[in-house]
Amino acid sequence: MPFREINSKMVEATVLPGQRLFSQRGAMLAYKGEVSFTPNIQGGQGGVMSMIGRRVANEDTPLMTVEGSGTVLFGHGGHHVTVVNLSGDTLFVEADRLLAFEGTLQQGTMFMGSQGGVMGMVRGQISGQGLFTTTLKGHGSVAVMAHGGVFEVPITPQRPVHVDPQAYVAHHGDVRNKLSTALGWRDMVGRGSGEAFQLELSGNGVVYVQASEEKL
Amino acid sequence: MFRLQGSKVLAVDMTGDAVKAKNGSMVAYDGQMAFKKMSGGGEGIRGMVTRRITGEQMTVMEVSGHGTCWFADRASEINLVSLQGDKLYVESSNLLATEAGLRTGTSFTGLRGASQGNGLFTTTVEGHGQAAIMSDGPAVVLRVSRQYPLTVDPGAYIAHQGNLSQSFQSGVTFRTFMGEGGGEAFQIRFEGDGLVYVQPSERNTIAGDV
Repeated sequence: MPFREINSKMVEATVLPGQRLFSQRGAMLAYKGEVSFTPNIQGGQGGVMSMIGRRVANEDTPLMTVEGSGTVLFGHGGHHVTVVNLSGDTLFVEADRLLAFEGTLQQGTMFMGSQGGVMGMVRGQISGQGLFTTTLKGHGSVAVMAHGGVFEVPITPQRPVHVDPQAYVAHHGDVRNKLSTALGWRDMVGRGSGEAFQLELSGNGVVYVQASEEKL
Repeated sequence: MFRLQGSKVLAVDMTGDAVKAKNGSMVAYDGQMAFKKMSGGGEGIRGMVTRRITGEQMTVMEVSGHGTCWFADRASEINLVSLQGDKLYVESSNLLATEAGLRTGTSFTGLRGASQGNGLFTTTVEGHGQAAIMSDGPAVVLRVSRQYPLTVDPGAYIAHQGNLSQSFQSGVTFRTFMGEGGGEAFQIRFEGDGLVYVQPSERNTIAGDV
């Protein structure tokens, strides 16, 4: 596990020769040892085609490759950082929330419309996530940023979880998500409770929720 | 039942009962929940009129259902206050949620309110149950007793409870008008018996500028 939480807003990553890390460009705070930072035009892994994919999908947060041997401190914008460990499953997260992740993870983009059709696209628009989201798959760990602390809510088949789209950070596991609406006549006349749209997550997994309704 | 999950998230376990919370402060829930908008300042027509006049318009929603509901607002720190029949005075912007057994109302604060940059009125919460109040940074609870009155900065005050009388103090001297003020021109003084909640941050107030 290369990421170690120094405090709630900083992580220390150990870089070993032959093991790459990717991090958001400009998120390095300090480093020890011989470490090189290379801006990554492709914005991640997977060759030119996936780079074009990310450009089109607007999920092309500038990344850099971190290589060498030593330790690096990462942090960005005073946001809280949480380390998520993946063992074979897929993490769904917005590209701009990614602080750093291990090179062993497969990066990809997912089209929201592929889950839930038109409603999935509407969901992406409403939650401000756009039509695409980033996926990370494999074995390794990811440092994710959020405004305020993050807490985990387990999702089990019996208990679907509803999340405010603005407070949603990431999820992993075998989870289906859809946009559920609680629109009533009150919302039409401007007396809504402010909770008209919710993200409904069902299946088996974990969702990460931040203690704030602010996007990064 | 209110419980804190970390210091910034309030988790409420509900079994068919209802809680009142600040509009839009739900971040997640499981089970079945219904959200309905209400308005602060007290119930009924009288409450509505008070709200219009006082401007202490707190938009509240009533959450009811079965399951767990999580509330948070802009990563503010949350403090739980339990009330046994006494009254809590809190700024409406600092009130996150109240249990069903609590009533909310509006009261006049006078000059103190104006100095806090919050208007002339404040929200009161009374009854039996728990309330969650928010602060910018972890709040400290200061006890006030007969022998030890307390003076606080209006911008750092968030709430108080108990049998307290408050007065407004001003340290304005001719130096203030010369632009040499210490930035602490106004204070609120609490006397009596009770608790005062203070946050480690100051709102922008007129007092802070002079």
